[in-house]
Amino acid sequence: MTIPRIFAPLALFAALLAGWEAYCRMAGVPPLVLPPPSGVLRALVLHRAEIGGHARATMAVAALGFSLSVGFAFVTSVALHFSHRAERALMPLFVASQTVPLVALAPLMILWFGFGLLPKVLLVVLVTFLPMLMSLMSGYRQTPRAFADLLFSMGAGRWGVFRRATLPSARASFLAGLRISATYAIVATIFAEYAGARQGLGIYILSAKNNFRADLVLAAVVVSACLTLALLALLRLIDRLTARGPEARNDA
Amino acid sequence: MTLDLRALTIRTEGRDMVQDLSLSLPTTGITALIGPSGCGKTSVLKWMLGILPPGLQSMGDLLLDGSPINRPHPALGYQPQGDALFPWLTIAQNAALGLEVAGLSRRAAQAKVDPLFAPFGLAGTEAMFPAQLSGGMRQRAAFLRTIVQDSRFVLLDEPFSALDAVTRLRMQDWLLARLRDTPRAVLLVTHDLHEATSLADRILVMAAGPGRIIAEIPVTTPQDRRREADLAPLRETLKSLLLEDLDP
Repeated sequence: MTIPRIFAPLALFAALLAGWEAYCRMAGVPPLVLPPPSGVLRALVLHRAEIGGHARATMAVAALGFSLSVGFAFVTSVALHFSHRAERALMPLFVASQTVPLVALAPLMILWFGFGLLPKVLLVVLVTFLPMLMSLMSGYRQTPRAFADLLFSMGAGRWGVFRRATLPSARASFLAGLRISATYAIVATIFAEYAGARQGLGIYILSAKNNFRADLVLAAVVVSACLTLALLALLRLIDRLTARGPEARNDA
Repeated sequence: MTLDLRALTIRTEGRDMVQDLSLSLPTTGITALIGPSGCGKTSVLKWMLGILPPGLQSMGDLLLDGSPINRPHPALGYQPQGDALFPWLTIAQNAALGLEVAGLSRRAAQAKVDPLFAPFGLAGTEAMFPAQLSGGMRQRAAFLRTIVQDSRFVLLDEPFSALDAVTRLRMQDWLLARLRDTPRAVLLVTHDLHEATSLADRILVMAAGPGRIIAEIPVTTPQDRRREADLAPLRETLKSLLLEDLDP
């Protein structure tokens, strides 16, 4: 009988939690400074309705921003693929946009666009767009030359080659970019909410911190980690459902 | 129907990669284009297909029955080095690719491809993916994709170079059998003397620096009577031609 792959990380995680719990109990660490995992769990259960409402708000912003970002990255990647002049002109700008620190940008977005949905969604798009664009462009470049040659020799045009060879060749690279961006999406949303919001895990964490409720801060962190893992699981499911050929069998 | 390539010169970085090369393909039979690596034989093939990489300048004419043609042209089929089967398509979808690109509906393309699976030794592989097939089977599928397009002229770029020696021999026999069933004019680019002498009706020998044809050798022995001993003198001739050209 083989041991499931999930066993090793779960065992390690359980050992870490047990160590944390034991340290808190035996060293007498005040719960205000570091609550034990059991305390975090208790806070999570007691405040589940409140945290759940904030988590839904965070997930809605992250999902909207992430979806817009995927669409925007795809359209941009196609435009840049077909116009090298546009690629040369725009890529440095896109890369430069990533050098702006979130810490500076988030408050400015709130200042310019208020406490509504727009600044948070924009921030998520800004953070997640480039990894996806880069992964798509890199995937396009991985198209074997022989595939393009073959299609051209059959009479396909540039769009035909793109649709039949370039796009499918970029699939694995695109999914890797999606996974990276998905993790950024939740973090960026929480950061945007932290800078100013009415609802969301970011503002909940800020308020819990101001009330010296480390247990609630950690409970919100647990929920945010679960949201990211749920998003990654969804992407994995999409990957499996859409995989064809060797990719499908490797993943099965 | 004949295909004539006239006075082809391909230039790169100020030097001639191929210089004033002419050849013609008759209606049927296999013409092998043999030469050392880097002599430009693949570039000649790509020029004929209209897929010469950017950065290479070319001059020359390609005439079909005496008239210049635009490329890509439906009379010219192509099989790149290796098999170039798309890993995300099933074998049936790969085989029908050229027909779909040419404008046939998916259903019509499949209907045309399906009856050829059995004669090509591919029955039962329709729903499989390329990674599930052996090298020889993949080559058959690639050749099916080329043949089903009904191109009069088939340009093969070292089609068996990735196969092991035994599979290569089997595939050579198999190719001859398929061409007896569905006659085509084949231009076979290869650097394998054995392959050229076993398969071709005519061998064009290319030299490098710049690429040019230095000899045209007809192979008159019928294919079913080509024994190793009979082909040895021909291989010696080819070997000496190629080595002579490589010597400074």
